Amino acid sequence: MLQKEYIVELVTENKIKARDPTGEVIMKDLLAKKGYDMVTNVRSGQYLRISIKSKNEQEAKETIIKMCNELRIFNPVTQNLNVLNVKKKN
Amino acid sequence: MSIKIAVIQFPGSNCDLDTLHVLKNVVDIETNLIWHNDFKETEYDGVIFPGGFTFGDYLRAGIIAAHSPALDEARIMLRDGRPILGICNGFQILIEAEFLPGALLKNDSLKFICKWINLIVENNKTSFTNKMKLGGVLNMPIAHGEGRYFTDNLKELEENDQIVFRYVNETGEITREANPNGALENIAGICNLEQNCVGLMPHPERASEPILSPKGTTHGKLFFESMISFVKKGVL
Amino acid sequence: MPKVGKDNNELKVDLTQKEIKEIKELLKREPSLTEWGMFDVMHSEHCSYKSSRPKLKLFEDAEKNYDYVLAGPGQDAGVIDIGDGYCLAFRIESHNHPSAIEPYHGAATGIGGIIRDILCMGVRPIALLDPLRFGPLKNNPHSQWLFKYVVKGIADYGNCTGIPTIGGEIEFDKSFESNCLVNVACIGLGTIEDFKHAPSKAFNFGDYVILMGGATGRDGIHGVTFASRTLTEMSEADRPAVQIGDPFTKKMIIEATLEAIKTGYVRGLKDLGGGGLSCVLSELTGDGGTGATIDMEKIFTREPDMNSFEVMLSESQERMAFIVKPEGLETVLNVFKKFEMAHAVIGKTDDSRILKVNDGDNLVVNLPAVALSDSPTIPRKEQRPKILDELLAQETPEPNLELEKIIYELISSVNICSKKWVYQQYDHEVGIRSVVKCGEGDSGVLRIIGTNKFIAASVGVNSKHCYLDPYEGVKGGLVEVCGNVIANGARPLAMVNCCNFGNPEIPESFWYFSRSVKGMADFCKELKIPIVGGNVSFYNEDEVTKTAIKATPIVMIVGLIEGKEKIITLPFKKVGNDILLIGETKAELGGSEYHSVIHNLEGGTPPKVNEKNIKATWNFIFELYKNDLVKANHDVNKGGLVITIAEMGFKNNIGANLDLSDCLDNLRDDELLFSESVGRFILETEPDQYQKIMGIAEQFNVSVKKIGVLISAPKITIKGLKAMSFGLKIAELKDLYDSTIPNIMET
Repeated sequence: MLQKEYIVELVTENKIKARDPTGEVIMKDLLAKKGYDMVTNVRSGQYLRISIKSKNEQEAKETIIKMCNELRIFNPVTQNLNVLNVKKKN
Repeated sequence: MSIKIAVIQFPGSNCDLDTLHVLKNVVDIETNLIWHNDFKETEYDGVIFPGGFTFGDYLRAGIIAAHSPALDEARIMLRDGRPILGICNGFQILIEAEFLPGALLKNDSLKFICKWINLIVENNKTSFTNKMKLGGVLNMPIAHGEGRYFTDNLKELEENDQIVFRYVNETGEITREANPNGALENIAGICNLEQNCVGLMPHPERASEPILSPKGTTHGKLFFESMISFVKKGVL
Repeated sequence: MPKVGKDNNELKVDLTQKEIKEIKELLKREPSLTEWGMFDVMHSEHCSYKSSRPKLKLFEDAEKNYDYVLAGPGQDAGVIDIGDGYCLAFRIESHNHPSAIEPYHGAATGIGGIIRDILCMGVRPIALLDPLRFGPLKNNPHSQWLFKYVVKGIADYGNCTGIPTIGGEIEFDKSFESNCLVNVACIGLGTIEDFKHAPSKAFNFGDYVILMGGATGRDGIHGVTFASRTLTEMSEADRPAVQIGDPFTKKMIIEATLEAIKTGYVRGLKDLGGGGLSCVLSELTGDGGTGATIDMEKIFTREPDMNSFEVMLSESQERMAFIVKPEGLETVLNVFKKFEMAHAVIGKTDDSRILKVNDGDNLVVNLPAVALSDSPTIPRKEQRPKILDELLAQETPEPNLELEKIIYELISSVNICSKKWVYQQYDHEVGIRSVVKCGEGDSGVLRIIGTNKFIAASVGVNSKHCYLDPYEGVKGGLVEVCGNVIANGARPLAMVNCCNFGNPEIPESFWYFSRSVKGMADFCKELKIPIVGGNVSFYNEDEVTKTAIKATPIVMIVGLIEGKEKIITLPFKKVGNDILLIGETKAELGGSEYHSVIHNLEGGTPPKVNEKNIKATWNFIFELYKNDLVKANHDVNKGGLVITIAEMGFKNNIGANLDLSDCLDNLRDDELLFSESVGRFILETEPDQYQKIMGIAEQFNVSVKKIGVLISAPKITIKGLKAMSFGLKIAELKDLYDSTIPNIMET
């Protein structure tokens, strides 16, 4: 079957129960001090955009998740992995 | 004429006490360590932004400190030509506050690097290099994770003589091996157009006493001696 | 595990039925769930040392027996007086289990914890050292992953807090494959006055109890019970016990704490680590002979709706508890405000000797303060492993390679080669005290600014030697680590240790611990080195094979150098100078790198320590120092004496002509070259001082042999062996020495 190329966007961030010092400092020491006190929470993470050859969207997504788990692209002890978007490459 | 220098202490500065020690006890000038919120430029002939990890370097090295009121005070000094030095994280702050052009990116090894390197003096007319020999080689340590200098306006920098230091090997040649972090054209330090503000990644305060230097050199001291001479003369 | 509580309010606790019964008898009632949780944590191995305490009694009372020891075992850190009004605090601790499952944050929060221990002695942390153990590195992605991220975790945390990492020690061995060891040591410097302001107890009535730093969250609840189990039993379910490091907040805690102490209003200080508030409050009041009433609603939490059980047992990082004089409350709070550190006055001390915690109108904790800090001990059985007889009897086969090739192999061993890849990631110069830097000497040497004094620190032990004989092995480790500071010109002042062993409920594992403690106690008593602190980490074993790690009783030594001109360094300095070998070389190849790298053997006869000879050797070296007779010094360690000589030649590219005929005695060539007999040094001395040195050697009854001279040609030639003479190229040795780890980690 013909393989198409997909773009999978994902983000890893610390689990909700784990702290995120980066997000906390951006909110407390920058935004709040510069008057953006309406901001109620900031969480930081790492964004990855991966191009992958695959049969379909579902398979692209599953392969990426499997790969991230296997290769410890994120550490499940402290982090979550969220797939933001999967789309076909033009 | 008495000279008074400020070393700014931010949350997360960690070379503040080291810089203070060298200025007070090695170079022997009156120096105050000032908490960033309390800094008032009127009292000082020059200001130094020391190394460290201000605000943990969370988000991007130097960016949060660049929003401190201390930078508004320093901006007045920048305009009226008083000497301003940014060392390592201080350099990152001056870049983020747009005192100096360009950007400092993650080292190409993606690792923090602490080691002694060599620098060639490319401009000995600035407020912090006027006691140095043009083309002279300085031995100093670096200690940073985000020190890869980048600019998309290299030509302008070169034409305006704003490149102050480049990484070189022991014999003074600009080579790829001598470049510890992948900086564009081996750039280690730059200055503003007016040459009163200098920023660099290496640590002069760690290279000002023979006992700390592997080769017994004190090249770091030249920065502070240049500053004194600059302040005394009043003009570049 | 037994359950306590009743109905739907039950809790599984790691207490014995006997402990449960005794707690109920003591209180004459059923404890609340929060109280059960507190007992559970405080009686865990990690907090109570219940298995190890009976053995640790072997350590002498350092505070009583040495006048310069200001704080000894049992305190958060050992503290010694170094003169001129200054004191040093130091301690070493393990963070093995968290690092084995999350190497980056596990190592980082390990550093965080040890920094707090030093800080709460009232002094500024000025140096870190990290002994590490991993599985074999080559072709082993798991070990590489652990190694890479443990180093990065240490680097990011240490660098950000501005505390230089000045030393460490790393071994790779298959017994650490799934249970790596991350030990972290910290040294603090301050005035004796500062130290006196920071006792870790609340001895006065009516003082305020203040909590400062990070908010209390649900993270890390039961972290200590995690450290007190094997990884196999717990890891999956207990993974949330790993914490996120926040070095920036830690840096602010350091500055805010030191400034608060300077106000003079702080009367007690303790960091929150394992056991959280339960541990801190019960120790502060229990040790101080006071009580306290705490208002739980004042404790700032990170998550809503935390119950008293969670608040009292949370092990959230980056928190400190202060006991403050009433008249200084405002001054101290202003310091915290300046640094924008969250803080709250959570209670007051009183004379009740009872710890009370109110949650609104409910009294959720009401315990005699000592009930928690006085925990029971458990006698453990010990048994020498039977396999040892077989291992010790292993003989060294004839070398299957030429000696020259063996030396090139050894210098490329991950256990011997340069650790530059590691220490270049550590900012080892911040603080501008580092005089002998990483890679330049056997130990890290720091100046004490404002004096003409220098301290030298080193850490380590040989796990392979300890595996074969823990008693002699740990003594050998002490000789080696003391040798490191002596090689730099220092006199050893005091020792702290971190005992890493398997499950203490297994008699063979406990035997290793017991013998190691005895070895440390005997050696330190004989050589007059006070033991000022220790940490015990049990339950280190392989998840899969159920075998314990090789016994690793890490020791750290801090020494003092009185004067800049007394600092000795490792590199050879001048062509034409003599090379002297100090100390005897014996057929002690058991547990050597030679056995493991060349013959794939773990056994054999490991080095033995003769305290009398060691004492004589040290005194001899000090006498040479006094007469300014030593130009370079390096203690002989893994790989044997040729490796030592090669390392000394690297910096200045100086070669050596060696003639070993005087040393051979009844030894085989490989025994002489690769033995790891302890207590030996290689010295560079001037030829015209030879007679004088030999005279001193005779006076001290120490074995000294001239084994060669330094040459300008960049090679080492060796003759006088049974085999034909041969040569080694310094450049080739150095290339192998430098490239081994980068080649594995960067390709």
